Amino acid sequence: MVFAGAERKAEGGREGGLQEREVVYALIIINKAGGLIYQRDFADGLNKLSINDYLVLAGTFHGVHAITTRLHPLHPPPSLDPNTRPDPPSGIEVLETENFRLQCFSTLTGTKFLLFTEPQQPNVDKIVGKIYELYSDYVMKNPFYQLEMPVRCEGWERRLVGYLRVLNSR
Amino acid sequence: MVVYSFYIFDRHTECIYSRLWARQDRPISTSSTTSGGNTLVPDLGPARARPARLSAQDDAKLIFGTIFSLRNMVRKLGGPDDSFISFRTGQYKLHYYETPTSIKFVMLTDTQTLNMRNVLHQIYVNLYVEFVVKNPLSPVEHPGGEGVANELFELALDQFVKGVL
Repeated sequence: MVFAGAERKAEGGREGGLQEREVVYALIIINKAGGLIYQRDFADGLNKLSINDYLVLAGTFHGVHAITTRLHPLHPPPSLDPNTRPDPPSGIEVLETENFRLQCFSTLTGTKFLLFTEPQQPNVDKIVGKIYELYSDYVMKNPFYQLEMPVRCEGWERRLVGYLRVLNSR
Repeated sequence: MVVYSFYIFDRHTECIYSRLWARQDRPISTSSTTSGGNTLVPDLGPARARPARLSAQDDAKLIFGTIFSLRNMVRKLGGPDDSFISFRTGQYKLHYYETPTSIKFVMLTDTQTLNMRNVLHQIYVNLYVEFVVKNPLSPVEHPGGEGVANELFELALDQFVKGVL
C-alpha cells in the first residue's frame, strides 16, 4: 500500500522503455498576481474540479511557490562585487506525486505555466518551451488580448490543442 | 548527495523534531545569538540586499504550510489516495512521507538526490518506532518535541543519514 508508487514507478519504467507513452493531462497558466488565466484538460487522469476550485488552486500554488523560494537551508555569502547580483532563488520547478507530475515554468515576468503529465514523462521542458512559444506568438501578439486577463484567443486554442493532441496520441 | 535538514511534524501540525546538517559557513544573521568569533564579516548597515534570515522555528512553520497546501492540492487533483512525494526547486529538493497516523516526515536535500521516500519510511519504521514510540518513558503525544530528541534516536538518525549517503 505504502509503496504502491514505487512499484508503479518500476513498472512504468519498463513500459516507458517499450512504448514511450507520453500523456499531458492538463495545462494551467497563472498570471503574476496569482490569478488563473487559462485552464484546459487534454486527457483523462486528473479529477475534474469546478472553476472555483481551479481559481483557489492557482492562488494557493502562487503562494506556495513564493514560500518555497525562501526555504533554502543554505544561504550563499553576499556577493562582494556591487555590480553583480546573484540569481534570484527559483520556486517549485517539479512536483512529483504517485499519480502525476507537475512541471512549473516561471517566466521572467512572473507568469507561471503548470503542466500536469504522467509521472514518467520525459522531455517536459521541451513541451513547456513549445507551449510558451505558442503563448507568446498567439496570445501576447494578439492585439485584442488584455494583459493579465483570462486567455480567450482562438488561434492559441487551436494550435495548443493541435500540438498536444499529436503529442498525446503518439 | 547532501542532506540539509530533516523535520517531523505530528498530527497537531506541530514540529516535534528538527535537525540541520547543513553548515552555515558565514552566518548572515544578526537576529540570532552572536557567535563571538565572527568579526570578519563587516556589518553592511541598514541597506540590506536580502531580508533577514528566518529563525529555525519560522522555517519549520513555513515548511509545514507548504507541505500542507501541496498535499491538499495533490489530493484534490489526483484523487484521495494520491500522495505527494517530493518537489524540487533550483536550489533544493524536499521529500515527504506521511504515516497513516498523520505523522509527517520531511527531508531537504540537494537537487541531484533521487527518491528518498523509502529512506523516510525506514526512518519511521526503524528509528522513530523503535526509539521514540517504544520508549516507555516517552509520552504518547509529543507537545513541544518532548521525548523525541532522545540520545538513541539522534545518534541512530545521524548514523543512518550518513550511511545512506
